[in-house]
Amino acid sequence: MRIDLPQREKVYRQKKGIWFSMHLDSWLLLGIFLLIITGSLIVYSASGSDLNVLIRHLTRVGFAFALMLFFAQIPPNIMRVYTPWIFLVGTIMLISVILFGEIGKGAKRWLDLGVIKFQPAEIMKLGLPMMLAWLYSHDTFPPSPKKMLIGIALVGLIAGLIIIQPDLGTSILIAMSGLFVLFFAGLSWRWITSSIAIVAASLPIIWNFYMYDYQKQRVLTFLNPESDPLGTGYHIIQSKIAIGSGGLEGKGLMGSTQAHLEFLPESTTDFIFAVFAEEFGLIGVVALLTLYFLVMARGLYIASQAQDNFARLTAASLVMTLFVYVFVNIGMVSGILPVVGLPLPLLSYGGSSMVTLMISFGILMSIHTHKKLLTS
Amino acid sequence: MKNKHRYQTEGEIYFQKRLFRNRIYFALAFCILLLLLLLGRMTFLQWVGYNHYQSMAEGNRISVEALPPVRGRIYDRNHVIIADNQPIFTLKFSKDKIENLNKSFIDLHLLIPNLSKEKLSKFYERLNASSRYRQLYLPYTLSESEAARFASNSYQFPGITLVAKLKRTYPFNESAAHVLGYVGKINQNEYEQLNASEYAGTDVIGKLGIEKYYEHLLHGVPGIQQIESNARGRIIRKLETIPAKPGKDIQLTLDIHLQRFIETLLKNKKAAVVVIEPNTGEILAFVSSPAYDPNLFVDGISQKNYQALLSNPQRPLVNRVLNGQYPPGSTIKPFIALAAIENQIISPTTTIEDPGFLEYQDHRYRDWKRRGHGTVDMHKAIVESCDTYFYKLSLDMGIDLIHKSLTPFGFGQITQIDLHNESTGILPSRSWKRQVKNDDWYNGETIITSIGQGFFLTTPLQLAKATSILANRGEIIQPRLLKDTPTTMIKKIGIENINNWDKVIQAMEDTVHNIHGTAHAYARGLPFKMAGKTGTAQVFSLNEGEYNESEITKNLRDHSLFIGFAPVDQPKIAISVIIENSSTKAAPIAIDIAKYYLKELSNEN
Repeated sequence: MRIDLPQREKVYRQKKGIWFSMHLDSWLLLGIFLLIITGSLIVYSASGSDLNVLIRHLTRVGFAFALMLFFAQIPPNIMRVYTPWIFLVGTIMLISVILFGEIGKGAKRWLDLGVIKFQPAEIMKLGLPMMLAWLYSHDTFPPSPKKMLIGIALVGLIAGLIIIQPDLGTSILIAMSGLFVLFFAGLSWRWITSSIAIVAASLPIIWNFYMYDYQKQRVLTFLNPESDPLGTGYHIIQSKIAIGSGGLEGKGLMGSTQAHLEFLPESTTDFIFAVFAEEFGLIGVVALLTLYFLVMARGLYIASQAQDNFARLTAASLVMTLFVYVFVNIGMVSGILPVVGLPLPLLSYGGSSMVTLMISFGILMSIHTHKKLLTS
Repeated sequence: MKNKHRYQTEGEIYFQKRLFRNRIYFALAFCILLLLLLLGRMTFLQWVGYNHYQSMAEGNRISVEALPPVRGRIYDRNHVIIADNQPIFTLKFSKDKIENLNKSFIDLHLLIPNLSKEKLSKFYERLNASSRYRQLYLPYTLSESEAARFASNSYQFPGITLVAKLKRTYPFNESAAHVLGYVGKINQNEYEQLNASEYAGTDVIGKLGIEKYYEHLLHGVPGIQQIESNARGRIIRKLETIPAKPGKDIQLTLDIHLQRFIETLLKNKKAAVVVIEPNTGEILAFVSSPAYDPNLFVDGISQKNYQALLSNPQRPLVNRVLNGQYPPGSTIKPFIALAAIENQIISPTTTIEDPGFLEYQDHRYRDWKRRGHGTVDMHKAIVESCDTYFYKLSLDMGIDLIHKSLTPFGFGQITQIDLHNESTGILPSRSWKRQVKNDDWYNGETIITSIGQGFFLTTPLQLAKATSILANRGEIIQPRLLKDTPTTMIKKIGIENINNWDKVIQAMEDTVHNIHGTAHAYARGLPFKMAGKTGTAQVFSLNEGEYNESEITKNLRDHSLFIGFAPVDQPKIAISVIIENSSTKAAPIAIDIAKYYLKELSNEN
């Protein structure tokens, strides 16, 4: 979409307050702050009051926060121009990680660039949805079936490259972030239902031919936690005890006995929600879920107010990806989804996913605060 | 593409905005639905299930503890235990339950004076640095009386418990270390590769050698112990137990007595010896000298000991049998001779005149005997190890035929013995040289290949395997270390004239028994017939760089080799011996080994 209007370089800056002029969104910022403070408290508690862990966590949060500020300053138009290049570089890195990657946990995920080591898949968490948003940025919604097929092919390519690393969990999540773009671009319901049917039908084939033993084991353990009492099944049982024993009001900060007696695994990362639920109870859980919902609702509002297709699709799909992370993590910890080693956004001990997440918040803020005044 | 950038109509813009907004609403609804699902789940766990989970968390609760399996023991062929598990007592520290760390350590030193202050303070630092909830084992083995003393005073030490563990031990210490390998603490890398529930409760894993290769047999399956404990983590009682499945005991083909006998012969030498039973492929002895004590590695080797092993100029950590690559020298001659008469390049009775050298393309290739061997036929060429004969022969054969005829004997390939990281050695060929050196093959290189020099490299294991193929008259039997596997004949080297085996073997027998034979001096009065071939390999050494060439005479730097088998009619053993940089000869050692083992065999019967 290109609407030729006389470009009035008058932006909202004059009308909205100080945050806006710094290209930040005060509501999102508030939500992020509250979540990070909660997360830091729980990380401190779950680590057994280890100040070093807290300091490391805050350092990483600070780094990620700085990146968020940086990305908020880049206008969406410039992001759009660079998107195909970033996507191309990301794809090349994914291919090279398969060829030369370092092996960790029996899977090649890391690329060592001498100075830094990182997972190229992390780039694609943003790169793929933005690439698709770029693809449809000049189309009228819904795009032509041909373009939809191109989009699906890109999703398939990237998901395929990550699956052979092999990293099934990340691959599914990244594919979903791409599919959200197609959904928001107006993929017809008939396509959506039929593709869900196809995926469901192909599950047995994937199970038999494309899944590694450890992946199968996780699914089997999920279906029957008692079958692996020394491994992840035990973790789920302990996690449920932690959550359940929190009750309505919780045991108070530092009151988690499950984490402190080392019954709970990964208590500062993947299973941090269990510690939170044990210490703050159902009331805390309701508050936390509400907070996540408000952050998301604000994100979707930003998407709905966006001025062009690229911004719209990017914003909406990033918000939905965030939601999926929240849902999958809490679902896994509470035993309604299989264990897929995934941190809880903004709460878990900081890692590379924290960086990606904060960058996507930066992009959201940039979209909201770089608008041209469109009154004709 | 350009023509697609057109202005949108008002209607399109309106429709598009509505479509997107509808999708946003739908997404919002979808999220609310899933959040409600989570909320429902949480309500179920925290409200409905509160009493249930509360009692599980607060009251006595059941936890599972892994019962580590007992690691399988390793026996030699005569059922002598060569890797065992020894029960030991040690102390387990649960940091969060220790009330006064300082006092506990002082009391501990008073109770067990043998426990040095340095050791304790080192451990104290480690404990201090670790997370509050970790459990650590004191790296000290308590004697029985110390354990009894601690047990009766244990009330003084809350959070410190006496535990009995099984520790891997190698009763013969350095003996067969390079075969057995050792177990050691599981490191991060290994931990990521293995199935965590299979190793629950176990902190060691096979690192090297048989311990690593047969880890899947030796390890076993952990059991599960359900323990009822109170909210403070104290054990109330033990509930259901699923016992661990112990690892399998395995029996090796090694004869530990023979192994030790050979190790004594090689004491303080850099050497490698392999002894195979030719008709079964069973490895009777596998000696890489000097060796190291694998017991040092079980609890984690100390920095000081490890440095000492690494900086030892004799390099005890190197597995010379598996990874030492040596030029075969003259030991290759019987194989070349066999190929030549088999392919009718030369008749066994054809003679040449040896002036002590071969002149080829302005270069003089010297025989080891300066004045030459005179008139030489194939038999004499092997018995006296005449170089000139083989120089001439190799030019008639060409490198392609040499490469093709030596390949079935396993040169340049791994033997596929049941150990990891075997070296291949090099059997040179035109394509090898093109690939590795990116150069053409020269005939001068064929000449030195025929006496096992030049690019040619073999491992002692390859030499022993090739020798056993000779002893079997062409039957290639897979060499192996695990007794409990069937003898497998890979194939039989087809040969046109069956008498050719006898001709080569006769020459090797005369090498040992004939008055002119190169090994005759060491074989006087031998009560059985042995076939063999001596060899000398020049220049190459495992640690060449450390030598000052001018200071050490050439003779000292040569390696001495010997291959052989006995008795000739019904071979019971095939041997390869390599002594590095030494004036000691390999032949007498091989003959001593044959004497010892055949006597041992006859004593048994």
